[in-house]
Amino acid sequence: MVFTSFVFFIFLPIVFVLYWFVFQGRLRAQNLLLLVASYFFYGWWDWRFLSLVAFSTVLDYTMGRLIGGQEDERKRTWLLWTSLGINLSFLGFFKYYNFFVSSWVEAWASVGIGMPDMTLKIILPLGISFYTFQSMSYSLDVYKGRLEPIRDFLSFATFVSFFPQLVAGPIERAVHFLPQVTKPRKFEYQNGVDGVRLMLWGMFKKVVIADNLALYVDDIFKNYAQMSTGTLILGAVYFTVQVYCDFSGYSDIAIGVARLFGFDLMSNFRFPLFARSIPEFWSRWHISLTTWLNDYLFTPVSLSLRHMRKYGIGLAIVITFLVSGFWHGAKWTFVVWGLVNGLLFIPYVIKGRLMQRAEVVAKGRWFPSLREALQILLVFTLWTLTLIFFRADSMGMALGYFKTMATQPTGSVMFKTGVVYVALLMVLDWVNREDERNPKVLHMGPRGLRLAVELVLAIIIFFNMLNGYKEFVYFDF
Amino acid sequence: MSNEEFLAKLQVVFRQVLSDNSIVLTENTTAKDVAGWDSLSHVMLVVEIETAFKKRFKAREIQNWQRVGDMITSLQNG
Repeated sequence: MVFTSFVFFIFLPIVFVLYWFVFQGRLRAQNLLLLVASYFFYGWWDWRFLSLVAFSTVLDYTMGRLIGGQEDERKRTWLLWTSLGINLSFLGFFKYYNFFVSSWVEAWASVGIGMPDMTLKIILPLGISFYTFQSMSYSLDVYKGRLEPIRDFLSFATFVSFFPQLVAGPIERAVHFLPQVTKPRKFEYQNGVDGVRLMLWGMFKKVVIADNLALYVDDIFKNYAQMSTGTLILGAVYFTVQVYCDFSGYSDIAIGVARLFGFDLMSNFRFPLFARSIPEFWSRWHISLTTWLNDYLFTPVSLSLRHMRKYGIGLAIVITFLVSGFWHGAKWTFVVWGLVNGLLFIPYVIKGRLMQRAEVVAKGRWFPSLREALQILLVFTLWTLTLIFFRADSMGMALGYFKTMATQPTGSVMFKTGVVYVALLMVLDWVNREDERNPKVLHMGPRGLRLAVELVLAIIIFFNMLNGYKEFVYFDF
Repeated sequence: MSNEEFLAKLQVVFRQVLSDNSIVLTENTTAKDVAGWDSLSHVMLVVEIETAFKKRFKAREIQNWQRVGDMITSLQNG
């Protein structure tokens, strides 16, 4: 089931009413309801893969208990690696098996040796990268002593499968989320209203901006060889805004839905398109994955390479981004996308300017300074160029896109109307930029005006939904 | 070396690495209290602290540091 389908608008009120009116005051019953609702939500897509979610839950619950109860350091480490190994084996099989097999066959074919095709017809389980990483973070935190292993299996199962963020994040941490599952929740009217507002804003970004831009993007990327430089630049810019609205829209809806049930999920996007440096960009983009990789990959790797000083940090950054690229998908385009983003960090490592500035851009001012505007433009341009690898179906297509973009300056510029969506998003996001969890455009003015804006937004979303459902980009990951 | 002496020497390293002479450390100072002390600069801080105190920490020990006081405990244990 997806947030922008009509069936979700039947599912959500039913769960909400049962949760607050039937099971109010009974924590275990509420958690059980959330668990059943989450499995129903996931099973709506394909019930067979519920077994994977359940297996991941049982595995990390058991391993957490075993690690927590073990005093011997070597045995604790062995248990952790067993847990990580099994989790990553499942992820590896479903997501990467065909990639490695076909790369192996192609490598031999390039030197004239034919190998039998051993690829399998594997369906990628929805959200496997997300819930596997979330579940793994629990075992890692118990191992590192940041968390006591939980005894209550129901609470743990609810944490792993919580439907608002099960299939596309934010990737929650047990340290932040588990205490919320184990404590009674109280319905707060204002929090609920703000949650609905955030859902509305997320749906607007997804259904109105992202889905409409996707029509242009699909056409431009499919026929890139016949397009002019101007059109290809527009196509790349449209994709930047599309993927941002698609994914941050999903996160906003997830955070909003969670608020309706009294939960606080972490922020996943903090206006990354206004970042003034590469490090700042990564403190604003897909924050739950970036911080996950930072804590569990970059930090241990960089500490083990610290004798190499800046070279060690640079190497650790590149390794982290390569893994990040590979996490997104089993394609060379994602690996190259990750590599390029890692390399873009290197100048900051050399200059020693690694500090991230995540404070509000141009706080208290209407416009950024010229220097800030140029910095934002530079980061936006670099990010947009890297996303060509992200969007392309193959390396050949990505390189062809770049080549055509550099060599067709005279042709006419097509699909210009998409600029309206880009401008609309940029202006609204600029207004909102002080608080990603409470969009200012939905909190301004007297009550009557706010209601009118919300109603108009809902009507626009409704009519755009009638155009048909377009899958969230990050569902493929 | 007393805690105050450790603290004073650490403060010099912090000011140097983070290029900020206004940094004042206490044993309860955490990364949240110091602008620019993030995961990236943390690695540089560890390297400079190891150099200044001629000590090599274990990776797990470093990852368990929550506040400056934990650093001092590690230094004292060496």
